[in-house]
Amino acid sequence: MLKTFLIGIKDLRLAFRDRAALILMLAAPFVLTLGLGLVTGRFSGNNSNGLSDIPVIIINLDNDQLGNALVDTFQSADLADLVEPVIETDVNAARKSIDEDKAAAVVIIPEGFTKNIMPQRGDFTNQAQANAEPLKIEIYANPSRSTGAGIIKAIVDEFLSRVEEGRVSGTTTIVQLMISQQLTPEQAEEAGLAMSERLQDSSSNMTDTLAIKLNSSTSSGEQVEFDILAYIAPGMALMFLMYTVSYGGRSILAEKSQGTLPRLLVTPTNSTQILGGKVFGIFLTGAAQMLILIGASSMFFQLKWGDTLGVVMLVLAAVFGATGWGMLITALARTPSQVASVGSAVMLIFGILGGSFISLDQMPPLVQTISKITPNAWALDGFTTLGLGGTLADLSAPITALLSMGLVLFLASVLLFGRKNLAQK
Amino acid sequence: MRKIFAIAWKDAIVRFASSSELIFFIILPLVFTFLVSGGTPPKEGIDDRVRIVVVDQANSTISKGIIAELDRSTAVRTEAYPLAEAEDLLDSRRASVVLILPANLDIQSIQDGTAQVDFRQLPNNLDATIAERSVQTAIRSVSSALNAANNSVKEAEIKKPFASDAERQAYFDASLELAQSIQKDSPERVNVIEGSTPDKIDYDPRANASAGQLITWVFIPLFGISALFAYERQQGTLRRILTTPTSKAVFLLGTISGQVVMALVQMSLLILFAIFVMKLSWGNDPLALFVILTAAALAAGAIGTSMGTFIKTEGQASGLSIMMGMVMSLLGGCWYPLELFPSVVQNIVKVLPTTWAMQGLLDLALRGGGLMQILPETGVLLGFAAVFFSIGVMRFRYE
Repeated sequence: MLKTFLIGIKDLRLAFRDRAALILMLAAPFVLTLGLGLVTGRFSGNNSNGLSDIPVIIINLDNDQLGNALVDTFQSADLADLVEPVIETDVNAARKSIDEDKAAAVVIIPEGFTKNIMPQRGDFTNQAQANAEPLKIEIYANPSRSTGAGIIKAIVDEFLSRVEEGRVSGTTTIVQLMISQQLTPEQAEEAGLAMSERLQDSSSNMTDTLAIKLNSSTSSGEQVEFDILAYIAPGMALMFLMYTVSYGGRSILAEKSQGTLPRLLVTPTNSTQILGGKVFGIFLTGAAQMLILIGASSMFFQLKWGDTLGVVMLVLAAVFGATGWGMLITALARTPSQVASVGSAVMLIFGILGGSFISLDQMPPLVQTISKITPNAWALDGFTTLGLGGTLADLSAPITALLSMGLVLFLASVLLFGRKNLAQK
Repeated sequence: MRKIFAIAWKDAIVRFASSSELIFFIILPLVFTFLVSGGTPPKEGIDDRVRIVVVDQANSTISKGIIAELDRSTAVRTEAYPLAEAEDLLDSRRASVVLILPANLDIQSIQDGTAQVDFRQLPNNLDATIAERSVQTAIRSVSSALNAANNSVKEAEIKKPFASDAERQAYFDASLELAQSIQKDSPERVNVIEGSTPDKIDYDPRANASAGQLITWVFIPLFGISALFAYERQQGTLRRILTTPTSKAVFLLGTISGQVVMALVQMSLLILFAIFVMKLSWGNDPLALFVILTAAALAAGAIGTSMGTFIKTEGQASGLSIMMGMVMSLLGGCWYPLELFPSVVQNIVKVLPTTWAMQGLLDLALRGGGLMQILPETGVLLGFAAVFFSIGVMRFRYE
C-alpha cells in the first residue's frame, strides 16, 4: 500500500514539475475560461439575458379609462423589475427611438380606444357608433430585441384578454336576457352601462374573473442567479482533465520504453502495486488540477462553485471517471506518442461532446445521447446543479454514472494490460 | 528554390510520419465543423421565449387549448414533461415554472366552477412573472366563452330562478353558443408593426461554423511551427544546417512555405466539405478566397515562427500552440459571433489575426463579398505576417 502511495506521489510531483504539461493542465483552461468570460460579458456585467428592465415607451392618446388602466398595468409593482416604461406623447419621436435601438417597443393607445370598446350612454341608438371600425393598440416593435418586444406584446395581450372577457361576458348576458324576454330594449342600455363598469373593474383585476382557478405556489429557498462562469469554468477544467489523464497514462508507456518499469520490477514490488501506483498518481494529479482550477477561479473570478462537499465529491468522481478513460487509452496504445495524439483528440472530442463549448441543450438528440459516454457531460451536469444552488444530495445521478464509468473502464484496462507484458521493454 | 522545396518536403514527411496527424489535419476539423454547425441553432430558429414546463394530465380539449394558446404567445413556449421529471426540473432549478393541468380539467369542471390548474414557480423569478401572465391570458382565451355562459346563467337566475336543471342547462347551452359566436367575431385589438432597427448580427450557423473551425484548425498547426523548430533544435539537426550554405531566410522561408502549402491543402479540403456536404456558397469568388486564405495562413505561420524563437522545448511549444490557437479563435469570433461580444471586447480583439481572418471569410461566405471587400482584412493579415516574420528572422538562432 505504501509503495502504491509513494509511486502515486512521485508521479504527482513529476507532473507538476513539467512546465509543458502545466501549460495544458492549468494555463490553458484558466486562459480559456478568462476568454469565454470576456466574450460572454461576465466580466463587464453585460451577461443579462435581456429579460429584465425591458425599455418600453407608452403613448396614451386615449387618456380614458382603458388607456389609463393599461398605463397603470405597465407601471404596476409586479412588473417593476421586468419593464422600464417611459410615458411620451410624440409618436414620431418614439418610433425613431425604436429605429435607433433605444427601446424594445412603443405601445400606442389610440385616441377614443375606451369609447370604441365600452358602450356609452346613447350608443345603443347610435348607428354610427355601432358601425365604428374597431380601434387597435399599436405596438411598434424592435426586431433586434424580439424577446423583449414579445414580452411587451404578451403584457398588452393579457390586458386586452381581461377587457375582452368582460365584453363577451356582458354582451352574452344582456343579449340572452333580451332573447329570453327578461330585459326590454329600453332596459338594455342601463344594463350595458352597468356592464361597462364591470368591464373597467375586470381590466384592473387580473385573476378574480378567471374561470379556471390558477393555484400559484412558490418553491422554498432564495432566488439563485446562475453565473455563466459556473458553466464555463468547469467545462474547460473537465476538458483539460482529459489531457491530464492521458498524460499520466503516457508515463506508464514511457517508463516501459525507457526501461525504468522493468527496473522497478526487479525490486520487491509487483506489477499490481506499480500499476496501482500509476493509476493513483493519475488520480491525484487530476484531482489536484481540478482543485487548483476551482481555487483559482474562486479567487480571481469570484466564482461560487456551490456546496463545498458536493464540489469535492463531484471532483473526485469526475477524476475517477476520466482516469478510467486515460487507462483505457493507455492500454490500447503501443507507444507514448500514440497516447499523446489519441489523448489530445479524445480531450477535444469529449470537450465538444460534453458541452464545454456549446451547451448540450442546443445539440441534436443523438449527440446528447452520445455525450453520456463522456465524463465531461455528467460532471458538467453536476457542476451546473451545484451552480444553481443544489447540494450533494442532488448529485446522485452524475456521481453514480461517473463512478460506474470509471469502474467499468478500469476493469477493461486491467484485462487489456493483463495481455501485455509490462515488464518487457 | 530547390532548397526551399527540399526543406518544405522534409517538414511534410516529419509531420505526417505518424498517421495520427490525420486526426488533427482533417478528422477533428470535420467533426467540429459538423457539431458546431448542427449544435448552434440557426439565427431565425433561436427560440428564447420563456420556457413553461407543462404536465398535461387532463389531455382534454381545454388542456390542449391552453397549451396551444401558450405556444402562440410571443413571450413563452411550452415543453411537455411527465410530473416526476417536471418536479425534478423545478427542484434542480432547471425550470423556472411548471404548469400542471390536472386530470379533471374539462368543460364540466369549468361549468361547475371547480376547474383549477397548478402553477409552481421559483421565488423572485422574472421568467415566472412573464409565464404567469401568459398562462392567465391562455386560460382566459380558452375559457372566456364558458365563463360568459356561466355569468349569463347567474344573472338570469337572479332575475328569475329556473324551473328545473334542464331549463338551466338549456339556458347555459344557448349562452355558450352565443358567447362563442361573439368571441369568434371579436375584432383584433393589437397591431404589431416591426421597426426598421438595423439587425446588427450577420449570422448563419453553417457559414460561421465552417469559417470558424477552418481558422481554428489551421492556426493551431501553423502556430505549431514553433514545435518544429524546438524539435529540430533538440535533435541537433538545426546545427547541422549551419554546415551547409543555407541562410536563415532560406531555411525559414522553406519551413513556413511548406507549412502554408499544407495549410492551404487542409483549408481546400474543408472548403470542399463545406461546399458539397454543407451546401455553402464558398465558390463565388475563388480568387478572393485564395487571397484571404493565403494571407491568413501566412500570418499564422509567421506567428508560429516568432513563437519558435522564444520557446525552448517541443512539449511547451505544442501546448502553447493549442492554447494560443484556441484562445485566439475564441476571441476572434470563430466559435461565437463577434457581434454578441460586449462592445469593448469587440474593439480589443481587433489586435488578433483570427478576428480579421474570420471577418474576411464571412465577407465571402455570408455577406456575398468579393476581392474588393476582403482587401482591408487581407492587408491587415499580411501586416501581421510581415511583423512576426521580421521578429522571427531577427531572433532566430540555429542553437
